[in-house]
Amino acid sequence: MLAAIFLLLACQLVGEALHRITGLALPGSVIGMVLLLGWLALVRRERPTLSAVSGWLTAHLSIMFVPAAVGLMQEGPALARYGLGLALATGVSTILTIIITALVFRWALHRFTPEEVGKRPVQPAEPGA
Amino acid sequence: MSALTGLLATPLLWLAATLGVFEIFERLSQRSGRHPLCHPVLWTTPVLIALLWATGTPYADYQADTFLLSFLLGPAVVGLAVPIWAQRERIARLAVPIVLSLAAGAVTSIVSAVGILSLFGAPADILASIAPRATTTPVAMAIAQQLGGVPALAACIVLFAGIVGAMTATPLLNAMKFDDYRPRGFALGVSAHGFGAARAFQVSETAGAFASLGMALNAVMTAALLSLLAVFL
Repeated sequence: MLAAIFLLLACQLVGEALHRITGLALPGSVIGMVLLLGWLALVRRERPTLSAVSGWLTAHLSIMFVPAAVGLMQEGPALARYGLGLALATGVSTILTIIITALVFRWALHRFTPEEVGKRPVQPAEPGA
Repeated sequence: MSALTGLLATPLLWLAATLGVFEIFERLSQRSGRHPLCHPVLWTTPVLIALLWATGTPYADYQADTFLLSFLLGPAVVGLAVPIWAQRERIARLAVPIVLSLAAGAVTSIVSAVGILSLFGAPADILASIAPRATTTPVAMAIAQQLGGVPALAACIVLFAGIVGAMTATPLLNAMKFDDYRPRGFALGVSAHGFGAARAFQVSETAGAFASLGMALNAVMTAALLSLLAVFL
């Protein structure tokens, strides 16, 4: 358990250090994720504890956004002036991006990797995602 | 009463309030069958803002008290490597669709968000805050800062994008007859970051893994595109 938590924190720490040293716009956690991918590729073994810890974290991602969301209370002036534009631009851009990304993915799947088209992973029948 | 005021100096009150309020809405969300409009963050946020206002608590105090929660976002992002690694063989076979749809999605996101907002006459710092709207919160804040935007505003925009994505993706992609969890998850991650990934994980491990991948790749892609753009402008 501690080893898995250490691995996550160590990757983030090194990622954070690289972020500061190189001045990359990528934050430490994202660099840390790339580092962890590298580590998993380098040292191959079964890691049930790491899967459990990271699974627990991803299952509770939503609540980690709450403190930042509450920060909305401070953005009164900007929201009052550009609130409508911000909401419209963000909403339309989000929906449009989902549509374009999904369409290009499907087109490229059929065009370049037709052998993958039918290989839908077996999943419960619930529609979603 | 003065015996209790010392308690306010500890993070206990607001941390407990955040978990408690979230848990109430989490249960309601489960009971609604995960209806997008019942997303717990959508309801927890205004309730907590109201509580902070009613008690005259400054946001900085709340932010400090709930640091533990925001801090977990870092290791959680690092941990997204695990489901991506587990799906590596499938991802490698789909490299071409992944790269092409990522590029299309990243450009669509930046151009449409900045384009629409500029129609409202928003100044450069507000435009810089919306440009990274598809990336995960810490990335968006870092990019906004670098472009001369407002990091806190970027965080709110990112959050709103996440809610819109989590709420609309399922009906939208069903209407477009997508029955494959790979493009569904990937599009959600590219457009709605960790929020979309959280939504995708609720539905399917495959959608979740592709959403995590989309989120991670778009953090890199958007940061790269906007850094390049900043050099030329």
